[in-house]
Formats: sequence, structure tokens, C-alpha cells
Amino acid sequence: MIDFIEGIRFDMIWSYKEYFIRGLWITLSLTIIGYLGGVILGLFLGMGKLSKVKWIYYPSKLYVDFFRGTPLLVQLLLIHLAVIPTIFGSSLGPFTSGAIALVLNCAAYNAEIIRAGIQSIEKGQMEAARSLGMPHKEAMRHIILPQAFRRMIPPLGNEWIALLKDSSLVTVISATDLLFAGKVVAGAYSRFWEPYITIAILYLLLTWVFTRIIAYVEKRYSNSYIPSQRRGIFSRPSVGR
Amino acid sequence: MIKIQGLHKSFGDLQVLKGIDCEIKEKEVVCVIGPSGSGKSTFLRCINLLEDITEGSVFIDGVRVNDPHTDINEIRKEVGMVFQRFNLFPHMSVLDNITIAPKKIRKMHEVEAKDLAYQLLEKVGLRDKADAYPEQLSGGQMQRVAIARALAMRPKIMLFDEPTSALDPEMVKEVLDVMKQLAKEGMTMVVVTHEMGFAREMGDRVLFMDEGIIMEEGTPTEVFGQPKNERTQDFLSKVL
Ligand SMILES: Nc1ncnc2c1ncn2[C@@H]1O[C@H](COP(=O)(O)OP(=O)(O)OP(=O)(O)O)[C@@H](O)[C@H]1O
Ligand SMILES: [Mg+2]
Repeated sequence: MIDFIEGIRFDMIWSYKEYFIRGLWITLSLTIIGYLGGVILGLFLGMGKLSKVKWIYYPSKLYVDFFRGTPLLVQLLLIHLAVIPTIFGSSLGPFTSGAIALVLNCAAYNAEIIRAGIQSIEKGQMEAARSLGMPHKEAMRHIILPQAFRRMIPPLGNEWIALLKDSSLVTVISATDLLFAGKVVAGAYSRFWEPYITIAILYLLLTWVFTRIIAYVEKRYSNSYIPSQRRGIFSRPSVGR
Repeated sequence: MIKIQGLHKSFGDLQVLKGIDCEIKEKEVVCVIGPSGSGKSTFLRCINLLEDITEGSVFIDGVRVNDPHTDINEIRKEVGMVFQRFNLFPHMSVLDNITIAPKKIRKMHEVEAKDLAYQLLEKVGLRDKADAYPEQLSGGQMQRVAIARALAMRPKIMLFDEPTSALDPEMVKEVLDVMKQLAKEGMTMVVVTHEMGFAREMGDRVLFMDEGIIMEEGTPTEVFGQPKNERTQDFLSKVL
């Protein structure tokens, strides 16, 4: 045991620090791109799954079922090795493939969150808006979505954290993310504790920071629609009416 | 102003409206009464097509509402609706609740829309609540805001679906008073209500609905004084 602890050499992590910094950057970029793309595409898919028009509903459902029903790892390989080379004639690089796969995958999960959020808004809200002469699209935009959005914050937050961790799968197509940095060090020294513990800690740090941010956003938008009663992170709990 | 011909409405196998014919003239106040489940709400909701019509026609100002070529949003601009559960938009202030439709649908300017909103709030006695949010209001206040919101589109017709049924007794009057004022100003109104006092006092005509048809209709004096139909007599003996 003593030997084991004395044998730990974190200096080799330090000498590869550029890899880890680059890896962090790639992991964050992939997460941000995957998430933003996933939210936008997910919004359309979620609305699609609420559509009464069959040729909008069924493709949306098929899409969501496919991307939720197959492993992300399989989707990554399929996109990187099969779909993209077939369409573009050559690889567009692992980063692009990874980003595309994450967007497509994240969109399917977000679609379900968005659909559920919209459906959770009381039917009377849409009816009131329509009875005023608002077209469906306007009613969605001004009345339903702003309310549904607050209810989507907690599950959309979970999705962010999940994506951050799942993005590590891009390592298998040799995108140089955080996990990849660990693998390089592991390969160079044939040592496994130091590199993998290091990246585990880095992932933990990232998820911790984002969990705190999400908790803040949740708090900020929960409780009340009254702006003065929305709580800032440091403000005292507001007094009731 | 409103003309309804052979109106049928089914939900799947359940026939709710079984042939309704009725005409409502300009400035008329028509009260619809009847037992629970008789189809009163459904009848009202067919008028502005919140429910699609299975069979028959509804005409508003001569335009067939349930014609595929009719732009229903155009019709709805002229037909305000007040719901039992208010359905105010909880994420908007009272002022925004009232101005959103005029601004987005009538393309009214901000200043003009606000002026209108303040006028209407004055009318329903809630000028000081312009900046409040729905959750800060009592039921009666919410319903008065809902009426102001509907009026902001300057409708020709107002539909009320049991506007006081969700209210505590002490708040019923403040809402009925606003409705009475509106009736006096000559608004065309169709009011589904359990407030027989209101129907008697303000109604030009009373429709008694049961089992998806209009069983009896007439002036309040006729319907409340000498009901001809057995079902009407039975119903009135229970509620009066
Ligand atoms: N969306 C719907 N789907 C299926 N059935 C419905 C729907 N809306 C109403 N119904 C049924 O239609 C019948 C009439 O309902 P409606 O709400 O019009 O009655 P009502 O006279 O307004 O009753 P109440 O006084 O309780 O409001 C009821 O049996 C109800 O269950
Ligand atoms: Mg009803």
C-alpha cells in the first residue's frame, strides 16, 4: 500500500498539461455545440411530436425513437465511418463527426423534454389565447412556450450534465477530448491510475460547477412569476404576499 | 348577429349536442341554463369554434364560422370569451395580459394599447392592479381582468362560460356587476350561468338546455314564471 502511494507520479500529468487543457476545451466545445444544436433541433422535433399532421408527427417520432433507442456509441461510429464519408466523400474530422452526433442525439432527448413541458401547460391557456384571435403559432410563442420553458429547466439541466459526460465517447473516433488526453498519457507511460484519476477529477469539477449554475437558474425561475419575488442567489428569501 | 342551424356535436361516440337552432340578435343578452353535462359549455365553445362542429352551421354576421375557407382568427377577434377558470396568463402582468392581443393581433401601438388597457381596468375597477401578476389577485379580480382582456379586442359579442362558478360567494357580485354594466352598454352577450338572479334581471331571453337540445326558451318571466316543459320545472324547482 505504501509502495503504491509512493509510486504515484503526477509529474507526468504536468508534462502533458497541454493535452489536458486542449482536452478540456474540446470537451466543453462539443458539449456547448451539441447542446445548443440539440435544443434548437429538439424544439422543432418536440413540436413535431405534438403535431396532429401525420407527416410531421411520424417522422419526428421515428427520429426520436431511433436516437433514444440506439447507443450513442453506435451513432457516433455510424456517422463518422459511414454516413459522413458517404455523403461528403471523405471524413470531415473526428470533431465535426462528434459534434454532429452529439447534436442529433441530444436533440432526441430534448425533444421529449420539450414535448412534455408544452403538454404540461393547462389546456385553458391555449384556449384563452386562441379565443382572443391569436393564431396557433403566436399563442405558442407568447403564451405557451414562456410558461413551458420554466418547467423544462430542471430536465434540460440534467441533459446538459449527461451530455457533458457522454461527450467522452467521442474518444473512440479519436477526437482529442479530455478522455483522449488521459488515454495518451496512459499509453505513453503504461500507467493508469494517474491519468484516469486526473480526468475523473476534472470531469467531477466540471459537473460540480454546472450543477451549481443549473441550481441557480432553477431557483431564479421557480416559485413565482412575479419578478420582484424571483430569488437571486444571494438574496434573502422573499416574504410572502 | 349569431345564427345557429342544426348544430350537432359528438365526442367520439358520445353525442353531446343533438340539433340546436337558435338566433341571437345584436345587443341581446341570452342566458343559457341547464343541468350539468347538458352541453352548455360545448354549445358556447362551438360558437367560436374552440370545439369543431360535427354537423350543422354557425353564422356570425352572416359568415359561416365552420366553413373551411373562413379564417377563424378573424372571427375570434370579434368574439370575446370568458372562462370559468379565468385562464389568465400567469407569466404576464395584468397590463400585459390585456395588451398582448391588441398589440400582436390588432397591431396596436404600445402607447395606444396601454391607454386602452387602463380604460378597461378603470371600467372593471382594477386600475391600481395594472402591474400586479395574476397570482397576486383574488378570484373575483382575476375574472374581472379576464373580462377586460377579452374586451381589449373590441369584440362585438361576448361569450361567458359560468364566469362566477369558480368564485367564493362574496366575489360573485363584483363580477356580475361588471357584466351588468356591459349588458347595459349594449354588448351582445351569451352567458352560461347558474346565477338565476342574473338571468332573471339581465337576460332578454333564457335558453334551457337539457340532453343536448334547447328544451325551452323565452323571456325570463316566461321561463322562470310559467315553465311549460316538465324538465324545466323540475330543474328550476331544484335550483331556485
Ligand atoms: N373534450 C371532450 N371530450 C369528451 N367528452 C366531452 C368533452 N367535453 C365535454 N364532454 C362531455 O360532453 C358532455 C357535455 O359537456 P359540457 O361541458 O358541455 O356540459 P355543461 O352543460 O357545460 O356542464 P357543466 O354545467 O357541468 O359545465 C359531458 O358529458 C362531457 O363529459
Ligand atoms: Mg360547462
